[in-house]
Amino acid sequence: MQIIEEISKNRINNSASGSILQKICLDKLQLNPLPNHKSEIWRMANKSKLARFLDYKLNHDFYKPNIPYGNESQKVIRLIIGDHKKINIKEQEWEIKELDDQKILNLIQQKLLESDTTQNWSALLNHLLTNEKNICGLNISGRNLPHLEIITNSKNNLFNSRTLILNIEKNTEVEISQINLGDDNCSLSNSSYLYLGEDSQVNHGIVSYGKCKSHLINSLNVFQNKNSIYNLGSLQFKFDFARLEININQIDGNAKTNIKGMQITEDNEQISTYAKIAFNGPNGFLDQLNKSLARDRSHSVFEGLIVVPRIAQKTDASQLSRNLLLSNYAKIDTKPQLEIIADDVKCMHGATISQLNENELFYMRSRGLTLEQASKLQLRSYYQEIISFLPISKERWDLLALLLNNK
Amino acid sequence: MKSKKETIKPLLEIQDLFASTENLTILKGVNITINPGEIHAIMGRNGCGKSTLSKIIAGHPSYEITGGNIKLSGTDIEPLEPEERAQSGIFLGFQYPIEIPGVSNLEFLRVATNARRKFLKKEELDTFEFEDLVKEKLDIVKMEPTFLNRSINQGFSGGEKKRNEILQMALLEPKIAILDETDSGLDIDALRIVASGIKKIANANCGIILITHYQRLLDEIKPDFVHVMADGKIIKTGNSELALELEKNGYEWTDKFIDKT
Repeated sequence: MQIIEEISKNRINNSASGSILQKICLDKLQLNPLPNHKSEIWRMANKSKLARFLDYKLNHDFYKPNIPYGNESQKVIRLIIGDHKKINIKEQEWEIKELDDQKILNLIQQKLLESDTTQNWSALLNHLLTNEKNICGLNISGRNLPHLEIITNSKNNLFNSRTLILNIEKNTEVEISQINLGDDNCSLSNSSYLYLGEDSQVNHGIVSYGKCKSHLINSLNVFQNKNSIYNLGSLQFKFDFARLEININQIDGNAKTNIKGMQITEDNEQISTYAKIAFNGPNGFLDQLNKSLARDRSHSVFEGLIVVPRIAQKTDASQLSRNLLLSNYAKIDTKPQLEIIADDVKCMHGATISQLNENELFYMRSRGLTLEQASKLQLRSYYQEIISFLPISKERWDLLALLLNNK
Repeated sequence: MKSKKETIKPLLEIQDLFASTENLTILKGVNITINPGEIHAIMGRNGCGKSTLSKIIAGHPSYEITGGNIKLSGTDIEPLEPEERAQSGIFLGFQYPIEIPGVSNLEFLRVATNARRKFLKKEELDTFEFEDLVKEKLDIVKMEPTFLNRSINQGFSGGEKKRNEILQMALLEPKIAILDETDSGLDIDALRIVASGIKKIANANCGIILITHYQRLLDEIKPDFVHVMADGKIIKTGNSELALELEKNGYEWTDKFIDKT
């Protein structure tokens, strides 16, 4: 594992501007260079795939990704992390400006100091390995903003690391899509931080689309202030190994979080989603649905945790996991959990694992549709619920076509 | 010169049909012949095998034919998949039409219609051509075009679901339509719309099987033959008078035909 060797031997090239963050992370990771497989969020991780994730040479250079869809239009601002393009735009109703290094440090440092290696190994690794060229920090304010499309990509046979920090100011409304593109035989580490100011709303889509033997660890940290609304749609597919770690913190409660995510696995892939939503004040709201679809000999994992301490009275939270198992050899592990101390709350969780609905299939076949056509229509309906929640235009990323033509 | 009887080729012939599911024999020797233009009603108590018969004709994978045969225009359909049977002209109107969230009714109807047209060696319809056709057929069941944009049967009332079934029948122009309790759950107005739709679609080349418990559908659509089923067999066949008799006397007399062993 090249990366771990470099950490152990202290050979990570620390740049001056990133050195404080990197030092914090290095200290923590040198004590525990690998995640603890006994911990809840790592026990299902495939060890050999994780080892392969860590087995590429670290790369800091930028390679222009091969993006399958259209270029920038007036309605969309496209940003590829690492290409040094400066973004400082001020319009009448809105503004996007880059965060300076000190502000970035302020936003992340405390979280990292407080975090323990088991819970936050992915983010610590990311900050240690990301140099300043591959960190994108933006301050976003205003309304009627254009759609912000942020792309992270990786180069084959290399380990690539990117960090995104978005500070969404009070009363701001914005749609952001984040596209993580994997290349053949590569690793991509991605950490994102979103700070939502009071009364702000973010519609956030994360699409992670890999290629043969792509590996991805994607950690997402969201901090919601009062009366903010955070909508997240996520889709992960075509990665040999991928993890999405979602940490949402409703800092003072009184905020709304809606999450709809889906992961699709085939061949021998392992794709996982871990979601921890913590309510640190009253009147918080969560509606989460995670779907997975597993084919061949693949493995899909979902672990969710809703944390409702005593202060979080009147929390209304729901976490559902719905799974479709399309092969006798595929495996799905799902575990939505509640940790509730407050006594005046409405919380529910549940999980189902099923196969394609035979009654629906027969109904369609009895009208002349072949088994393949009927299955495709059924899958389309399964996908549609999640895809329609993503704030991503069909014209730019026809995800349904991509998924249905996939196999 | 051949007599009329000799020249008519049956559309559907079911001969000594035995069928089972999960090692339980449901059909125990069903015989029925449907000629073009005929309307047959099959009546009987719950559990006598009426719906099973309809599913077996349509090719439901949960049932197995253990004896006898089913022929459509002289061809044994047992080896055919459900979609091949549908493409060949068998239509089953479901007692409980299935809801399929997320699948557009319009798209589903177009794919189904084109599958049948392909079998009939007719040109497949593109989206615009199909929309013209479906709008014409919507009138038959008095449905609004907005139904087409919704997911298949999702959020439809009982009456709307049954009208959607008849719309599908109108589009697919089947040789044999089996309507399984199409009248159940309908109020009088909805029943009349559905019955009127069936009558408009019925023609000299199509055979119809109405599976029902009640006379009220048969008041609207007069059958040529009425069959009474009990314990997986047809135990009596008559004309429309038989249905009136059943309405008056009930099904108790059929109990003596049940094999209690």
